[in-house]
Amino acid sequence: MLDIRDAIKAVQAREPSALYVTTCGYITRDVYNIADRENNFYLVGSMGMAGPIGLGVALADVARRVVVLDGDGSFAMNLGCLPMIAEHRPDLVHVVLDNGAHESTGGQRTAALGDPAALALAAGYAAACTVDSLEELAALDLTHTPALVHIRCLPRTHKAGDRVALTPQELVSRFRAGLGAPAHA
Amino acid sequence: MSSIAPGNSAEVVMQSFLDRGFTHFTGVPCSLLKGLFRILESPQCPARYLPAPREDTAVGVASGLTLAGSKAVVLMQNSGLGYSLNVLTSFTLIYDVHLPLVVSWRGHDGNDAVEHDVIGRELTHLLDVFDLPWTVLDPQAPQQSVDAFLKQHDGGRRTAVLIVKEGV
Repeated sequence: MLDIRDAIKAVQAREPSALYVTTCGYITRDVYNIADRENNFYLVGSMGMAGPIGLGVALADVARRVVVLDGDGSFAMNLGCLPMIAEHRPDLVHVVLDNGAHESTGGQRTAALGDPAALALAAGYAAACTVDSLEELAALDLTHTPALVHIRCLPRTHKAGDRVALTPQELVSRFRAGLGAPAHA
Repeated sequence: MSSIAPGNSAEVVMQSFLDRGFTHFTGVPCSLLKGLFRILESPQCPARYLPAPREDTAVGVASGLTLAGSKAVVLMQNSGLGYSLNVLTSFTLIYDVHLPLVVSWRGHDGNDAVEHDVIGRELTHLLDVFDLPWTVLDPQAPQQSVDAFLKQHDGGRRTAVLIVKEGV
């Protein structure tokens, strides 16, 4: 099992030019505190929406891979979006960082999750697997998408990093600027 | 883009979106909106229709499209507004990534199936609570209604709602 920050860094090292959509709570805060970048789009709320928003970005003809960084709780909240994501064959890698807990609300255990990789394959994802180590993560073939990568992680031992200092509007502006998209679509 | 033959309200609504460059439509059907969905499902439709499993997911997908520079519309029954309130309040209205919403109004006259009574009675109040501007589609003057609604949408600066009370 991985430290969640090591898992995030390893995904970023594999997919340095991708667009990232991160789920609310500590995952957004970890990604922000590891390396804030304009191609990171942080959700501060809307739990369960990282997948759908990532799908929308991927379908907007951005010619970039989209990586969704989901948690186990936020993934469990919206399993219904999986077949919709699969249907449109986006260039999207759906990462589930699974430490079995809602950590930002006090570490309560998450609802039963089943097998995320099996769920994704049943929904029609082109590829899906579960990994426990950096070596397995590095060895993954992410050619075929959408792909789901379920990463088993340890509960956090580090303090939650700073909250995102940019306003939501600033996050939108710089993400759009990075894409060359108009201010008002 | 090819155009749709003018005629009924559904065609007017759809053509107005297409004329303004909307390319993606997502949502969950309602019997009051079936004319719109019929157009979206027809092979001639120049827009891309993305059926969603639930209304909040539709708002999420349309938000991602809009965030990344495409123009997207969400269609739903008013019952789906309840599911959508979290994404509307914790994404749409705080990130200012605004969408045009087409929402049917089941239960508007208190004489519909019982499951629509409460949301039907409260629909416009709910929209007012969240400061979402709305226009009711007038079947006698659909173009004027759509124009008023798109003016409220203000080129992407407000999340406005076109309410469809009578089936299109």
